[in-house]
Amino acid sequence: MTAQRNQARHDETSRMRGLMLVAGREIRVRGLSKSNVISLIVTVLIVGVLAALPSLFGGDDGDEKIGLAGPTAAAMQTQLDAMGGFDVTVFDSAGEAEQAVEDETVEAAVADGSLYSRDGVGNETEAKIDAAWQAASVQTNLASAGLSDQEIAGALTVQPLEWVTLESEGGVTGPLDYFTGLIISVIMFMMLMTPVQYIAMGVVEEKSSRIVEILLTSLKPWQLLGGKVIGLGVISLVNLIAMVAVGLGVSAATGMLSDLPPGTASAAVSTIGWWLIAFALFGTLAGGVGSLVSRQEESGSVLTPLIMSLTLSYLGAIFLLNAPTSTFAEVLSIVPPFSGIAMPTRMAIADVPAWQIGLSGVLLALAAAGALALGSQLYKRSVLYTGSRMKISEALRRSA
Amino acid sequence: MLEIKDLHKRFGDTLALDGVSLSAAPGEVVGFVGANGAGKTTTMRIAMGVLAADSGQIVYDGAPLGVEQRRRFGYMPSERGLYPKMKTGEQVAYFGELHGMSKTEARRSAGELLEQLNLTDRAGDFVQDLSLGNQQRVQLAVSLVHDPEVLILDEPFSGLDPIAVDVMGAALRDRAAAGAPVIFSSHQLDLIERLCDSVSIIGNGKIIAAGGVEELKAKEVKQLRVSVETDEDLTGRLPGTVTRDGDDYLVEDSPDDQEVLRIAAAAGRITRFAYDQPTIAEIFREAVTR
Repeated sequence: MTAQRNQARHDETSRMRGLMLVAGREIRVRGLSKSNVISLIVTVLIVGVLAALPSLFGGDDGDEKIGLAGPTAAAMQTQLDAMGGFDVTVFDSAGEAEQAVEDETVEAAVADGSLYSRDGVGNETEAKIDAAWQAASVQTNLASAGLSDQEIAGALTVQPLEWVTLESEGGVTGPLDYFTGLIISVIMFMMLMTPVQYIAMGVVEEKSSRIVEILLTSLKPWQLLGGKVIGLGVISLVNLIAMVAVGLGVSAATGMLSDLPPGTASAAVSTIGWWLIAFALFGTLAGGVGSLVSRQEESGSVLTPLIMSLTLSYLGAIFLLNAPTSTFAEVLSIVPPFSGIAMPTRMAIADVPAWQIGLSGVLLALAAAGALALGSQLYKRSVLYTGSRMKISEALRRSA
Repeated sequence: MLEIKDLHKRFGDTLALDGVSLSAAPGEVVGFVGANGAGKTTTMRIAMGVLAADSGQIVYDGAPLGVEQRRRFGYMPSERGLYPKMKTGEQVAYFGELHGMSKTEARRSAGELLEQLNLTDRAGDFVQDLSLGNQQRVQLAVSLVHDPEVLILDEPFSGLDPIAVDVMGAALRDRAAAGAPVIFSSHQLDLIERLCDSVSIIGNGKIIAAGGVEELKAKEVKQLRVSVETDEDLTGRLPGTVTRDGDDYLVEDSPDDQEVLRIAAAAGRITRFAYDQPTIAEIFREAVTR
């Protein structure tokens, strides 16, 4: 009777269940730990404040307050509204407009062919006002020359220049900017470094506390390692999504979202994809090398090569930001493991040919598969070994 | 029936196991005895699948032992281990789930075990905050939480306080009474003698003696012990080699024990007349020095 009940009970225990139980434990114990929750809250707050900063300093949603008066006022208003970024007030006379500048109700005023300001306006604003003035003047002149509105519109419609970039491969014509690239590389670096260290620490914890011997009676090594990698991956992903959500949310709330370069959302999504592959690579390797040592103090020494290559990937990505079209940048963003951080960074700042993205992705995925095999072999062979640190070659020679 | 058949295992130049065979029938408690380094832990690790044998096999109910069946075993390794930064109750239940129990079942079973072990009020504490003795009890709970079909325990009594020794002993007998084969190793030979139906003694990777506890004792019977209330000295009169142990006469190699009884009865009132049985400890010492 008991045996039958046990049979039924144990039959439902599939391999996946073991994997998910391990992952679930990691999430519960590590993800919901006080320290992780606090650090997540702090990080999210920092991201929120950073996202809110531009609007705090820019003030007034960044719109320039401009006063207009005189016969060209209507035409100027049409032009400025079309350009965007201006909050236009029309005054009855040049005197009132000038007064408004004095009173700081507006930052500058255009009236009777003069630009009033207290101490000059910014270059960009000046250029825009100038362009608007030119266009408005032409429009007014044409109207006074007797042209109909339609004719004026026809005369003023100019086909914008078509850009032809001869060195289109890797040219800096991407939609996103340097800053986005920088943020992507920093986040990728952080989101890889932290969980990778946690995975190694977790493996060593199980080894040093000897609990692994009990675990291995009901779990396969791959379930134990895989569950750990998945669990920490989920924790990191939640952290990442929380940061992105808060960042974009605050931007949306302060009206900055429309000012972000187009393509930010797609960059965020593709970054998550790159992160997943890179994490699989570094995470499983970290578990594998973690199992080579038996004490927490020794985990630093086996992790060094991994941390070095992560740091080099990050530094390379930063360097790449300054020379996104160089051969160095191309190579770095294709060769794993560096491509994990370098490619999403390069994609943010430059147009990358599709074949390079594909090649880089395939190579990184292959490297991750290789790391998975190597990491789990190392883990399988050395996780029950206790004593001094094991060499990788020694671990691979051992039978499991 | 759990059968460990002809295990061989070599670590580098060391031959750890050299044809070890061992079996436990349903309801049988088998004591596994041997000096340090004799091969007990290696045998048990191979039986639990944490280590692979070079040759030999583990057979359960007539078929090679599979992963799913092994998950229904209860195991306590000699080197104990728990997650230090996991809550006690959560941890015991987690192992129940790993062994295939549903979440509710695992929680209920963990709760019951912790209550038996007087740990209910520590269920919410991290394991690292418990005393060593209490950690040992949690370890016991971890190996019993899933109501195991077979128990393989490596030194289950080492480091246990008297209460936990009783709980552990009762748990072994309970499991055996429910029909589970139980194999455990121990250096506490009095416990082996008290709890086991049979004993296997291992030395240098080989089984050097094995059998039922009573059977082994009978085989190793030493001498006849006779106590008589008399002032007479019977040393010269009793047949066989006679020595004194206090007031008792120890008779070895007697051709006729009935003759011994007759002579003693004639001399005075007999208060004791029995063959001395060796303790398991004595049998063990003799086996390893042979």
